[in-house]
Order: sequence, then structure tokens, then C-alpha cells
Amino acid sequence: MRGNLRKLALPLAALCVLVVASTAGGASRATTLVFAGAADPTYLDPALVSDGESFRVTEQIFESLVKLKPGTTLIQPALAKSWVSKNAKDWTFSLRHNVKFHDGTPFNAAAVCYNYNRQYNFKGPFQDASATYYWQTVFGGFKHNESADLSPSLYIGCTAHGKYSVTIHLRTPSGPFLPAQVISSFGIQSPTALKKYGADSGELRNGTFYPTGSYAFSHPTGTGPFKFVSWTVGEKTVLAANPNYWGPKPKIKTLIIRPIANNSARLQALQTGEAQGIDLVAPEHVGIIQSNSKLKVLNRPSFNVAYVTIHQGTGSPMNDIKVRQAVAYGLDRASVVRSFYSGRGQVAQEFEPPQLFGWTNKVTKYTYNPTKAKQLLNSSSCHVPCKVDFWYPTGVSRPYMPDPKRNFEAFSASLEEAGFSVTAHSAPWRPDYVKHVNDGTAGDLNLIGWTGDFGDPDNFLGTFFQTYSPQFGFKNAAIFNILSKAEKQKSLKKRIALYKQANIMIMKYLPAVPYAHSRPALGFEKTVKGYVPSPVGTDPFEGVSIGGQ
Amino acid sequence: MLRYIVRRLLLLIPILIGVSLLIFFWIRALPGSPAEALLGERATPALVQAYRQKYGLNKPIVQQYFTYLKTTAVDRDLGVSVASHRQVWSEIRLKFPATIELAVAAMIFAVVLGIPLGFFAAKHHGRLFDQLTLVGSLLGISIPIFFLAIILKYLFAVRWHLLPSVGRIDVTANVKHPTNFYVLDAIITGDWSTLWDVLKHLVLPAIALGSIPLAVITRITRAAVLDVQNEDYVRTARAKGLPPLTVDRRHILRNALLPVSTIIGLQTGLLLSGAVLTETVFAFPGMGSWLRDAIFNRDYPVLQGGILFLALVFVFVNLIVDISYAIINPRIRYS
Amino acid sequence: MSVAELEAAEIALEAPAGGLWKEASYRLIRNPAAIAGGVLVLIFVIAAIFAPLIAPYKPLEQNLSLLKSGGIPPGPSLHHLLGVDLLGRDVFTRILYGARFSLLIGVVSVAIGLTVGLILGSIAGYIGGIVESVIMRCMDVMLAIPGLLFAIGIVAMLGPGLYQIMIAVGVVNIPIFARLLRGSVLAQRENDFVLAARSVGVRRRVILFSHILPNAISPVIVQGTLAMATAIIDVAGLGFLGLGPQDPSTPEWGTMLTDVNDYLQAAPFLAIIPGIAIVLSVLGFNLIGDGLREALDPKLRGR
Repeated sequence: MRGNLRKLALPLAALCVLVVASTAGGASRATTLVFAGAADPTYLDPALVSDGESFRVTEQIFESLVKLKPGTTLIQPALAKSWVSKNAKDWTFSLRHNVKFHDGTPFNAAAVCYNYNRQYNFKGPFQDASATYYWQTVFGGFKHNESADLSPSLYIGCTAHGKYSVTIHLRTPSGPFLPAQVISSFGIQSPTALKKYGADSGELRNGTFYPTGSYAFSHPTGTGPFKFVSWTVGEKTVLAANPNYWGPKPKIKTLIIRPIANNSARLQALQTGEAQGIDLVAPEHVGIIQSNSKLKVLNRPSFNVAYVTIHQGTGSPMNDIKVRQAVAYGLDRASVVRSFYSGRGQVAQEFEPPQLFGWTNKVTKYTYNPTKAKQLLNSSSCHVPCKVDFWYPTGVSRPYMPDPKRNFEAFSASLEEAGFSVTAHSAPWRPDYVKHVNDGTAGDLNLIGWTGDFGDPDNFLGTFFQTYSPQFGFKNAAIFNILSKAEKQKSLKKRIALYKQANIMIMKYLPAVPYAHSRPALGFEKTVKGYVPSPVGTDPFEGVSIGGQ
Repeated sequence: MLRYIVRRLLLLIPILIGVSLLIFFWIRALPGSPAEALLGERATPALVQAYRQKYGLNKPIVQQYFTYLKTTAVDRDLGVSVASHRQVWSEIRLKFPATIELAVAAMIFAVVLGIPLGFFAAKHHGRLFDQLTLVGSLLGISIPIFFLAIILKYLFAVRWHLLPSVGRIDVTANVKHPTNFYVLDAIITGDWSTLWDVLKHLVLPAIALGSIPLAVITRITRAAVLDVQNEDYVRTARAKGLPPLTVDRRHILRNALLPVSTIIGLQTGLLLSGAVLTETVFAFPGMGSWLRDAIFNRDYPVLQGGILFLALVFVFVNLIVDISYAIINPRIRYS
Repeated sequence: MSVAELEAAEIALEAPAGGLWKEASYRLIRNPAAIAGGVLVLIFVIAAIFAPLIAPYKPLEQNLSLLKSGGIPPGPSLHHLLGVDLLGRDVFTRILYGARFSLLIGVVSVAIGLTVGLILGSIAGYIGGIVESVIMRCMDVMLAIPGLLFAIGIVAMLGPGLYQIMIAVGVVNIPIFARLLRGSVLAQRENDFVLAARSVGVRRRVILFSHILPNAISPVIVQGTLAMATAIIDVAGLGFLGLGPQDPSTPEWGTMLTDVNDYLQAAPFLAIIPGIAIVLSVLGFNLIGDGLREALDPKLRGR
């Protein structure tokens, strides 16, 4: 028997040696790029999704009329070569000639109208916010609204003038309309493929939209630099370079995007070569990447804000401006940004990031001052120790808030110092936490934030404060009015002035306390060149090359 | 023999009913009404109503239970995942093969290493090797497997670049997976480089997951060999002058392996529990990491369907082990 | 949890009669492994009880200014023996306080499992018949769901938090103790002294409490010790999965370990220290449990 066991031991030892001798990865990859994000796409029909991981893929397959200049929030031509609008209501685009969809069908004015009318005419489950979040955000409602909560559609029609000119008609003038068209949800899809693969069938499952056709899973068809190849859930999405792309052809042949949820696991995949690029690098991992001679860190321009919601409502101590000011003075924002953002964040003075027009230095600033906070509290309706419920999310890391738990712990300690008595509450990010925050049932204070979708202040200030929202629970006609006025204003100069004024008003009124604008990091092998991170998070891959291997 | 199997199968019925009852009432005990629990927090009144209608939730509780049994067992409708909106059943078909491969690999690791270790420890009873094996196995039971997994991954994948750190397969490989059992797929298609790649992805998670079974199997083997060694038939065999190797193999090991084989069944539950932790560390797309995400997403349909499914697997594995044990060891049938 | 169950299977059902306790404790003292385990557990218990006296700092005292650039905590130093964590809190202090939570969770959850398991198991074993069948089938059902998943299910039902974890881990232990007790009671039921007591008309309840249970208790002690070990591991596992205490500043070892999972490369000692604390305390309980079993198991006597 011993002899037998020895016989067994030999091949076992050989196996071990073999395992150890072979290295991980190592296929010839000069033309294949493996990039790791945090999750799978939801679906691949951009009209029906609203999350960054879906857009990471759809952005490569589809193009909108306009796009962002890489690395900025400036608008530049894409499928439209130029555009004009006299009244900010009727927008005429002249389209690029001789562009073909991946299925070989031609791109033209009719295709543009088909796409806008498709979303405008959505019915039933398609009108659910889980299906058409961005259409509803930008255009409000549909042709026939089925819910009283929807507002009348801003979009009212589309006219094709011949093959290469198209006019989009709006109900009222809109400043944010054009910048918003860069969102991948307004990417132009092949009408033939949409019809052929049942893109317009879907149902609500458990209250969330689910497409029942095969289009959104295996047949997304656009005009972009990459064509769809395959999607294996939980493993990878594979795209191939589009040889007939109208613009500069992609330098890599195959693009593989894989989901790795855990921050450490994603970093380790980069270190082992199982991915050549990763997004959403945790701040504490930046140093590790920098100290590795084969890797490099890229910076995503800051275009986000993390803030502490101050929830007002009947009987809330937060209705008192002095208590809100005490909160602002009692949050040690400088320490939090210094300690938990690894030099990749700046303290937010206001809700807009500084890169965006409308930002102003003239807002009231609140540096940490526990003494002043206590004085304010004692002269307010909520004396020291003022009891507050403070919520934070678990199981999540956001670009603007890489480590919510630690932000919470530090803020909670500094508020205690400033005369508050904090009760901690936590909930899993999805669906509980976000829902509680949106419904205004997440305590007096909670941690949350926002990443911009397109380069317009309306996307920040308008989203938060233009109307009453249960999240903040306040009604302030002056703030609501100035933001509505700014949205409809045609002159850019006047809009800038209005948003500056709005920022000043908001930071006086303190419906919430902004605390950080972060500069998220990405990690790459040094051989990967030409990757330009976008402020809004939808990065193009057509300029990326892998060299020097 | 047949009678034993039949009796064992009949015994299964109350257990299966019990498990289904337990899960049925568990869902009803979750915060919120069952419809809300199953729909997640998006539940609108209209949706809740539709759901109650579909699953008969406004009927008496006994009737509800039978409806639940019917939709689960007959229609195989486990509901729809809140996170992915896909059918829970079709997700199980995708994820379960991964977990099975991992569990089998872990068990092979534990058996192939544990039995010789335990055997030699017993043969060297009381000596250094024995002591080391005992302490080692206790240490193996004392390390939380996620801690071991994190350390293994850091050393072997990140530090020394010997093995991959995430997933089941090199994503640049362009292969089809007819059965979703990647090892099987590679063997069927004769794709040896893929097989090699898949095996490499299994090594670290299997070692982490197999650490506790390894410790347990080592200890059980050791104890069993010690027991058997002094049995009369072993002494008789020795006295007959049979060569020591033959006695070791025919008399000692064969009999000592009987208790070890039952352990394998009992360990299945541990492997399925451990998979939740191991798969999380290695981003291994199996049932474990899926259920873990389901906890975070409050994805009750997934938790309900997934846990029910794993319990069934556990029960059936134990059944098969019991039956095969009875086949090997006739004495058990009459006890 | 299955491990504990297996260990239980190894425990011999015959209990040492009266005077054997003395012999058992003598054997235990002569077992170096058990002594090592005893020392580890003793350190653990002392740390838990006297944490406020020993600890140089307060467990929730933050000092963000200690952190290096990038929020990376500095390693061990004279002022902070085991370094500080990501909020500048003293790790040594938190490990001491963490021992309190682990001990508390372990003791309470084992107590829950033991009490309920004891009641169900002895009822089943002593009464027998249909009651036994019903109880033991219920236990089978509980055992059919893999332990950690069962605990997760309970936490999902009760919500995350310290007490909820204790209950979850305790409930998972119930069937293990119930089976063990039933087996012991069954074995004792036919013993001569029980038959003798019964023949002179001693009441059933009295027989159970004064004759059977005391003699069935030694495997329970062994199992209880081993269950402490698995309880600590299970709690750490739940913490790792994000189902730890609601207040994130609670110095619970599993949560501490989870926290720093992301920092393994930037500050490895932060992940390793709570890990070692868990391993050592669990090892301590396992060594004692093992020693106790050998000491109490007549089959192993004389080897």
C-alpha cells in the first residue's frame, strides 16, 4: 500500500510542478484588449438602460448625433456633421454621408427619425422608469403618457429632409437638449435589426423592465467602431473592430469587457495580467499600481459630487436653518477628503464640479468648526446634544464615495464633536438604500452623490433642486424658479449668470452639504496607449492600442 | 437491499416536505408581505396585486403552500431574479455547473491528500509525523476559509504570478460551452489547452474550499485506521503471515475507508456553504457568489430558489452516499 | 457546522461513570496539545474580560492625523503595538475589545443551540415513539440546509446586527446538539442503573434529570467546546459577507478582517492581525475540545 501511495504521489508532484511552472494568462494579445469593469451590462439596447456598465459596451457599438470631445464635456460632431437652431426649439442636424450600420443597412435621416419616434411612442412596460430612465429624464414623457406622474413630452416630432438632413422639434426651448444627446441612450440603432430581433417587446418582471426579444441580448446593431460578437453573462462581453467604420479605424481587433465586482479582485486581475485595463480603482490601490513598473494610473476628470442629504419635513429639526448650518460646520469635510480620497478628491464648495460653467467661488463656505456648530445649535430649536439619524449604504463603492462606511464613521465622530448625538443606520445600496434616500425615509442625514451624464449644470442643479423632491423635503420657490428659468434660457451667457446665482442661493439655504468632488482612477498596463478617460464615464476604445510587447 | 433503498427513499419524503415548508415560511417571515419580499422594494400596489393573483397569495395559507409546491416542483417556476430579471431556474442551470466543478475539485484535493496523510499518521501513531498531522489538521479547521483564500490568492496569483486570480477561464479563449461544465466541455471537444486553463483556474479555489474536508478526512482516516488495526481479522491476517503491504491494503485500508466515505456526503453541505465565501474571493461565477450577491440585492426569489435547490442537492448526495455505503457494507442494512 | 457534527460523531456515546471525571482531568493535564489550547483560550478570555483595563486606548477613538498620505495607516510602533486602522484607531485595543464580542457571540450562540438542542434531544431520546420521530425529522430538515446558508437566511429574516447573528449561529447549532443528546440518552436509557431506578418506581422525569442527563453530558461538553470554535468562524464568515453588526465601528474580528480585505496589499498587517486572532482563538477551543474528547473517550483510553 505504501508503495501504491508513493506511485500516486509521483504524478501528483509532477502536476504541482507543472502548475507552478506555467504562468497565468500569456496568450498573444497584441490585438486583444481585456478590460475589467465592475458588473455585466444590464441589456445592450441603450434606449433601455441607464447604468455605466451597460453604457461602457453600448458606447462602442452605437453613436449618437453628437458626442463628447474625448476627455472633456464639450460637444462635437458624431453622426451629425453640424447642427443649427434659431429658437432652441427646432434643431436641424445635417448628417454624415455613406455611413452603414453593422448589418449593412444605410444610416440616414429616416433612421434618425425612426429611433427618436421609437422611444417617443413607447407604450406599457416601456414607459416604466426602469426601461426608459434617460428618455424620461431628458424629454419628460411620451406621446401617450400612461401614468399621471409623467410630464408632457419635450420631444414632439422629427422631420426628415431628404436623406441627410433632419429636424427635431421640441415643445419648449431647451438649453440642456443638445448636450444631453451625447448620452448613449440616444445612440442611433439599425431600424432593420430593431424590427427583426423584436426590440420592441418587453414586460415588467418583479416591477422591473425586461426585454423579451433577442435584440437587447444578442443582436445590438449600430454604426460604432466596434461590432457585437458575444455576451456570456458573468464572464465577458466580446466586441470586434468594425472594418467599415467611417472614422479612424480601431487599432485593436478584439475588445473583451469582463465584470469583476470586487475592488481587490479587479486590481489583482490587473496585476496578474488577467486584465490589461481596469476601471474604478479604489483610492487605496492607486499607490500599489503606481509602484508597479509595468502598470500605470490614468485619471478620470472630476465630474461628480458626494454630499450629505439634509432631510427636511414636518417636525424635523432640520427645518431650522441654524441646525442645517450647524451640520455644515460640524462635518469635517477636509479630513474626510484628505484621509479617504488618497489625494484624488477636493472638498466640494457647491454642488457643481468646478470644471462646469456656472460654478462660482462666491458661495458661502463652511469650514469645520465644532465650537461654532455648538453655538448655532444652542441658539436653535435643537439644543446640544441634538439627536440625528444618519444613514449610510453598505456593499457599495461609488466613484464619488469610494468608501461610504469610513466616510460615515469619520463624519459621525466629527458631528458628535460638534454637539450632535448620532444614531447609525445602514442598508444595502440596492434596492433598499437608494429607495429610502429617494423616498425621504433615510433619516435626517444620509450619504449619497451623483456623477454627471452630460456637460450642463442642469444635470446637477436641475436634477436635485428644480422641484420638490421627497429626498430633500423642502419647498423653496426662489430656488425652483431660478433653475427653471435657467433651463429654458437661450443665451448661454445669461444661463451662466443664472446658475452662478443659483449656486450661491443653494449654499445659503443648505438643502444638503456637498463634500467631495473626486477624480476616479483607472489602472492599465503601460503598453496600453491612447485610452482617454471621459468625465461622464463612457470611454471610447477606438484610439486604444497595445504596443511594445 | 431493495428494501433498504425503498425505505431510505420513503424517508426522503418528509425531509423534502419539511425543507419546502421551512423555505415557504421563511419567505413569509421576511420583512414586508411575501409579495413585497419577492418583488423587492420596487413593489407598487398594482404589481403586488398582480403578483398575489399569480401566486395565489390572497388564498388561505394551506392552499398557498400547495400552489407553491406546484409552481416549484411541477412548473419548475422559481420566479424571476430581482437583480437580473432572468428566470431563477435558468440562472441555476448556468451557475450550478461551476459550483459542482469547484466542489468536486475541492473534494478530490481533500481525498487524494487526506487519506494518505491520515493513513501514515496512524501508522506512525504517537510519533512526530502523527503529531504534526494532528496539529496541522486542527489548524486547517481553525482557519476561516475566506481568510485562507485571500492569503492563497495574494501569494500564488498576485505575488508570484503562478496561477490566475479570478473567474473560471481565460476570457481571451474563444470556446463554446455546450454543458457549462467547463472541464467536461474541454474534454468532449478535445481542447486540451482549454482544459489546462480551466484546471488552473480551479486550483486555488479548490485548495481553499478543500482545506476543511482535508483536515476532517485526515482525522477520520487516522482514527479509523487506528480502530481497524487492532481488529481480530487484522491480527489473524498478520498471524497468517500475509505480507504487511497486503494486510495494509486488503484489511486495514479497505475497512477504514468505510467511515471515510460517509464523511464525503456530510462534507457536501460544508462545501456548498464554503462556496459562498470562496467564490466571493475568487470572483468565481457559481451559485455561491450568486447567492452572496442575492443577499446584498435582497434578491429573495434567488435566495428562495437557490437555497431550496442546494438543500435538495445536499439531501440527494447524502442519499446516494448512504445507499452506496449500504452496498459496500451489508451490516448497515439491518441496523 | 458540519465539522462540529462530524466531531460529534467521533465522540463515543458511552460516558465515563462517576469517578472517571478525575481520571479524565488527569489525562487532560498530561496532554500538551490540550494545555496549549487551554493557554490560548485563557488568554482570549482574559483579554475579553479585562479589555478596558488592558487596552491603552479607547476602541472608538479616531485619530485621522496618524494616517500616511493616501489614507494608508502606518504599521506597528511603540505607541501602537499593532499599528492603527484606517481611521487611526489603535488595533491592539480593538483586538482586545473584539475578543469580548467573539466570546459573547460564541457563548450566547452556543448556549442557544445547547439549551434548545438539549431539551429537544432529551425529550426525543427519552420519550421515543412519535414524538421522537417528529422532532428528529425536523432536525433532519434543518440539517438539510447547508449551515452558513441557513444562518444567512435567518439574518435576512431578522436583519443584520449582533443579536441576530447570535440567534442565527445558535439556531444552526440546535440540530447538532439535539442529535447528540438523543444518541446519548438512548444509550443511557438501557443502562443498568436506569433500569434499576425504573424498577423501584422512580418517576420518569426524575430519572431523566438525575440519572440519564448527568451521564450523557460529557459528549455535550466536548461538542460545546468545538461549537465555540465553529461559532467564532461562522460569525467571522457572516461579517465577511457584510452581515456583521449594524454599527460599523463595532470592533468585531470578522468585520475588522472584512474591512481591510481591500487593503491587503497596501497595509497587509491590518488584514493579518484580526485573521491571526481568529485562528488562534479558534485553534484554542479546538485543541481543548480535542483533548477533552480523548480524555473522556473510554475507547481512546490507554492509547
